[in-house]
Amino acid sequence: MRNFILRRLLQTIPMLFLASLLIFMLFAKTPGDFIDGNITLTAQRAAELKALYGLDQPLLSRYLHWLGNLLQGDLGFSLQYQIPVSQLLNQYIWNSFLLATIAMVLYWGIALAVGIVSAMKPYSLFDHVVSVVIFAAMSFPTFFLCLLLIKWFAVDLHWLPVGGMTNTGSDATGWAWVMQVAAHLVLPVIALVMLQAGSLTRYFRASMLDVVRMDFIRTARAKGLRERTVIFKHALRNALLPIITLLGFELPGLFSGALITEKVFNWPGVGHIHIDSLAARDYPVLMGFTLFLAVLTILGNLIADVLYAWADPRIRVRS
Amino acid sequence: MFSSLSFADDVLKEGITPATDASQVPAAAKLRTDTVIAGISEPQGIFNPYFFVNGWDENVTNVIFARLIDWDSQGKLVPGLAESWTVSPDGKTYTIKLRPNLKYSDGSALTAEDVAFTLTVLYDPKYDGDTDITLAHIAGGDDYKQGKADSVSGLKVIDPLTLQVTTTQPGATTLQKIGGPVLSKAYYGKDYQRGNLDTLRTLHGKPLGNGPYVYDKYIPGQEIRFHANKNYYRGTPPTPRFIYRVTNPSTNFQLFQTGDTDYDAFTSRPDDIEQLKLLGFANINLYGSSDYSKIEFNLHRPILQDVKVRQALIYGLDRQKLIDVVYQGYGTVAIEPIAPISWAYNTDGVNPYKFDPAQANKLLDEAGWKTGTDGIRVKDGKRLELTLLVSKKVLNDALIPIAKEDYQKIGVLLKPQVVDFNALMSQRKAGNYDLASFSTSTLNDPHDGVWDYYSTEAKEQGYNNPEVDKLINEGNATLDIEKRKPVYHELYKVLANDPPVILLGNRKILSASSARVTGFKPDIYNGLTGSLPDVKIVK
Repeated sequence: MRNFILRRLLQTIPMLFLASLLIFMLFAKTPGDFIDGNITLTAQRAAELKALYGLDQPLLSRYLHWLGNLLQGDLGFSLQYQIPVSQLLNQYIWNSFLLATIAMVLYWGIALAVGIVSAMKPYSLFDHVVSVVIFAAMSFPTFFLCLLLIKWFAVDLHWLPVGGMTNTGSDATGWAWVMQVAAHLVLPVIALVMLQAGSLTRYFRASMLDVVRMDFIRTARAKGLRERTVIFKHALRNALLPIITLLGFELPGLFSGALITEKVFNWPGVGHIHIDSLAARDYPVLMGFTLFLAVLTILGNLIADVLYAWADPRIRVRS
Repeated sequence: MFSSLSFADDVLKEGITPATDASQVPAAAKLRTDTVIAGISEPQGIFNPYFFVNGWDENVTNVIFARLIDWDSQGKLVPGLAESWTVSPDGKTYTIKLRPNLKYSDGSALTAEDVAFTLTVLYDPKYDGDTDITLAHIAGGDDYKQGKADSVSGLKVIDPLTLQVTTTQPGATTLQKIGGPVLSKAYYGKDYQRGNLDTLRTLHGKPLGNGPYVYDKYIPGQEIRFHANKNYYRGTPPTPRFIYRVTNPSTNFQLFQTGDTDYDAFTSRPDDIEQLKLLGFANINLYGSSDYSKIEFNLHRPILQDVKVRQALIYGLDRQKLIDVVYQGYGTVAIEPIAPISWAYNTDGVNPYKFDPAQANKLLDEAGWKTGTDGIRVKDGKRLELTLLVSKKVLNDALIPIAKEDYQKIGVLLKPQVVDFNALMSQRKAGNYDLASFSTSTLNDPHDGVWDYYSTEAKEQGYNNPEVDKLINEGNATLDIEKRKPVYHELYKVLANDPPVILLGNRKILSASSARVTGFKPDIYNGLTGSLPDVKIVK
């Protein structure tokens, strides 16, 4: 097992270099840079600024400079925010992480429970109702759903805040702060869960159904085991295997921010920073953050592989 | 069919429309007895008036820092921290007199030394902020920048209250360039040496100013807090605390409705105005913006070098329809490269280019473009095809179909390309366009609206008209508004006859304040912060 993990870790190194090159090229080749978008600059001043930011340097030296800094753990300096990229991301990323984690725990829980029950009694009334609800929730446009929630629960009923993370001007700390953040979390979490739970439930249900139809389940049932034991002990474990892979891919999603939901609810997350940086061509932020997500994707993949190998010894043997 | 008249009855008047029912102020807002909250879109945390990158941070610094010289609601310069100023007869030397007893919010004195320090920093070779001080042409500035001198020779501190600024050439916009916010030398300049702005940068999040409010705290993505400045030169503002809360266009109305904010800006659409009116407690402010939207011609293209073709493209575009569709009564067709609110605006004798396809056809015929078999005009075997660069925004969403259809009718094939703004600017720079649509930034002086038609600045566009150059120089050579007025009037006539752009529109800006607060009277030159010293909570 240790060799397996080590081997997989070593494999990620060339992947990371490739990712860094791709990311750099992608953004460097996007038309326009940080200075181009400023129409108030005279030609002379624009040239001066490009020189100050090193934007007049050849691509290769810009890449090597960036890579050199990266290897020393320096993500660069945001042109737009005038602070180190790592500090900028630190200001917003944990808010996104909090929102995404709570939403994820909920929609994985819901999807798992509903998926299992649906698969236990396929084509029952429950299964049909769930299907209808899922498709209804999935077909809502995000933006519309968020605004609808705000209108109902914040504007009409006054139950919950319209947006933000805490009450404006509040100096609450400790438990009072937690309660405030929790109140502000309710609506965006509902929106995210409604939008995400659907597809995942379908996936779990299909995965469970596949397993339930297999021979070893029939054997288990034929042995006279209780249905509950058959489902939870035999079927679920096997159905979870493909889902582990899926879970690995959720890792970058926890940090990347739910763009529209965060925007509409004024949640101070990292998603809009990313989009603003693209609009302003703030390359250090774009490259730093994209690379961070790439690292998380590779890492998530690695964790999934390891878990998979741990759950299914055949994989270890084969590789 | 849209026309400007169809809106005339129900269009909101410019200025402030007072709330109809103050008793409807939401309970949540009434609970705030000492705090006023205004909405802001995307502050980035650079709270230094010379280093911020976007206009939202400028809104924040305007609260913390007072200007040496302010603007009135028409864009004329009026005293701020400076009590008065005189300009030498040759227009090159400015003597600025400060008000006595000016203090920073920490109680330290603000003197002419601070002003000189501020201007020196702007000449630093590593300075990368938005202010281009070289346009003020202060004597010795370039020497300082290049390391040939240890100070800027044109900056002379006569006494603690008097600063003399010598420039190498007269310029109408010089005074607004040197009359900005004043950084404390003791605070920002402690370890300053030429070429090293690091100390200043570390203070972006800890501003020390002299404006109406003192900065307390910034919670990224959420809010910025201030308290009233006891040392403010116009007296302590009546509201003890002020907060900018981050909002966005999709929910700022709801936040205002529930009382989470007391002031915010909205889109000037009839629907939004109607909704605000229904609230009852909203004082609705409508005022003109100072920018203008335009379609630029690429004069490097032989087709567009012919002035008749350019004129035909203006006559042939129904701009009134475009403005009516987009602004629905809250915008006007632009006739001059300046907004109607400016003192320089005067359309007498300036060709307004009323929509006239017949005239457009006539001009194109005269220019030698003959209608081909498919309806598109041809000259010397070349079809009259033009690319139009646009970025994604409401104005352009309407511009594309209207312009395509209108131009089709006069035998011009328009090929729009939608790109994002930076890509548009970059393609424009590379010269890969025939027409490009974009808006100017906010313009404070008429010179700001025309400087990029100056032949040396318009290299990318290829516009070159010696008479325009001469008039731009003349308009910028004196500070005397009465002398400048006829020059700009003449300039606008010349620009209309030899157009560098198709002027599109001037828009209006809508904001609203809660009836529980008095004193908000925003205009484009001062924004909301201009009213802050007077904003009061109604008891």
